[in-house]
Order: sequence, then C-alpha cells, then structure tokens
Amino acid sequence: MLIPHPLLGLRDSQEFTYFGDASLMWRPDPEAPEAEAAFCEYVFLRDNPAGVHRELWFHEQGDRSWLVVTRDTTTHEILGAELASDVKGAAQ
Amino acid sequence: MIEPVTDLAPITALGGTVPRSEIFGALTLSENAGLALASLALRKDQEMPKPFGLPLPEVGKAVSMGGLAAFWTGRGQWMIEAAGRGETDFAAALKAEVPKACVSEQTDGWVAFDIASTQGAAPIEALMARLVNLDSTGFGPGCATRTGLEHMSVFVIRRSEDRLTVMGMRTFADALWHALAVTARRLDD
Repeated sequence: MLIPHPLLGLRDSQEFTYFGDASLMWRPDPEAPEAEAAFCEYVFLRDNPAGVHRELWFHEQGDRSWLVVTRDTTTHEILGAELASDVKGAAQ
Repeated sequence: MIEPVTDLAPITALGGTVPRSEIFGALTLSENAGLALASLALRKDQEMPKPFGLPLPEVGKAVSMGGLAAFWTGRGQWMIEAAGRGETDFAAALKAEVPKACVSEQTDGWVAFDIASTQGAAPIEALMARLVNLDSTGFGPGCATRTGLEHMSVFVIRRSEDRLTVMGMRTFADALWHALAVTARRLDD
C-alpha cells in the first residue's frame, strides 16, 4: 500500500505508523465550562465508520510529519493525504 | 587519588581503529568515520539562512559545497554535514552561523557508509532496488530521503550517479554494514 505524501510523493505505508481518528487533533478547551464532558467524549468516544474515514498517520521512517489520510475502511483505498499542520493551520 | 587514564584509543562505529572498507565487485563500501553532523531546524517564521554560504536544499534534495553538505530531513529541517570534522564541535560552529535556529549535535548518533561504484549508476541502482522501497531510477544525483532498510531507519543520499551514502543509527552500525555488505556481495549472483 502506498501513501501519497503531500511533499515526498508515493511512499511505502510501512514507513508510517497509524495513530487513529483525525478528530484527535481537536482537543477540547480545558477552561471551557463543559470541559469534563467534552474530554470524556474526546478520550473515550470514537466514530467507527464503514467507509470514508479521516485518520492520523505518522511518517516515522521518513520526514517525521503527521498526515491526515482519508481512507475507505471497507476497501482500504487511500483517497488523499494532507499535512496535519496544514489542516490545523487552515482551521485556525 | 585516581590515576588519569591516558591510554584511551578512539574506535570507529564498527569498533575498528581504522574505518572499515571492503570491495564487492563494482562496489566499494566504506565507513566514513570523520563526517561531522548537526541538525538545523528553523524557528517559526524564521527566514531561510545560508550557513557557511551553503544554500539549503528543497524537499527531498541534497546540496554540497566544498567539504560541506546539507540534505532536507523534514519541513524547515536539514542535516548539515562537514567532511573530516567529526572530532570537532561542529554543532557549535553551525550554531554560531545561525544563532536564531535550533541546532543539535548529531555526529555521535549516526554512522555513515559511502558506497562507490566503478561501473556507473547501474550497480548503485541494483543495490537500492534490493534494499529500500524507493524508486531508484527517480532517485538521481542530489536526492536524499529517510526511509526504512531492514527495519532500521536510514538516510539515503545520492551524491552522484555512482556514489550513494547510507546513514543509520550508530548503535546499528554492524547490522547496517551487514545488510549492505551481504546485498552488495550477492548482486552478481
């Protein structure tokens, strides 16, 4: 399986380690009034979709970047990859 | 009072008193014990520096100038190499050049093996095809990347058509030499 790295092109998926749901990037504000409930959801609850899923992959044996990879969990087709820093930067 | 130890003998990453070198057909594999390494990482929004006048390379590339070289290791990060300066405090010299950037000493963390071919690019590309999952024909002179080699994390730098450097973690020096030597020996089989 090849991951289309946004900077380095197609790279062997064995160079990467999988971390999990990309929603982990959005840590709740610990100062917010509903912080406890928000953290409970953040830490313990995950969507488990059969189909398109956005997830975090770490290019461990590469440039050490975090990627947001869009993958179809039913076919393992990789639909795209973005740098997590770009995804986070664009959202702020 | 403890007597000072005065009879310490420096050894290379492979444990020898001189760097190891071995010939396998068209390929010569040699340990580069004198290479000084320091990593350079830019601070946020920092302008691109030119340490020692060296233009820092683009993504996936390497440059060299005299005894100095640099290759890209990550976004805003490079490894700077200085030939024959492994026993000097190269990181301090680099930090003095780029005081605003983050500089870390790397010489003691890595081992560098140079591979030279007497028959042009073909033996180098044949060796790469057996060792790393990279497109060896697209990995021309001036390309550098980090990848996995027999489960070890390595930097691979294509110095020229007929020269390749593989850097691995210093504690894996023997295992990396073994991987390179066995593959090079079997290329003609």
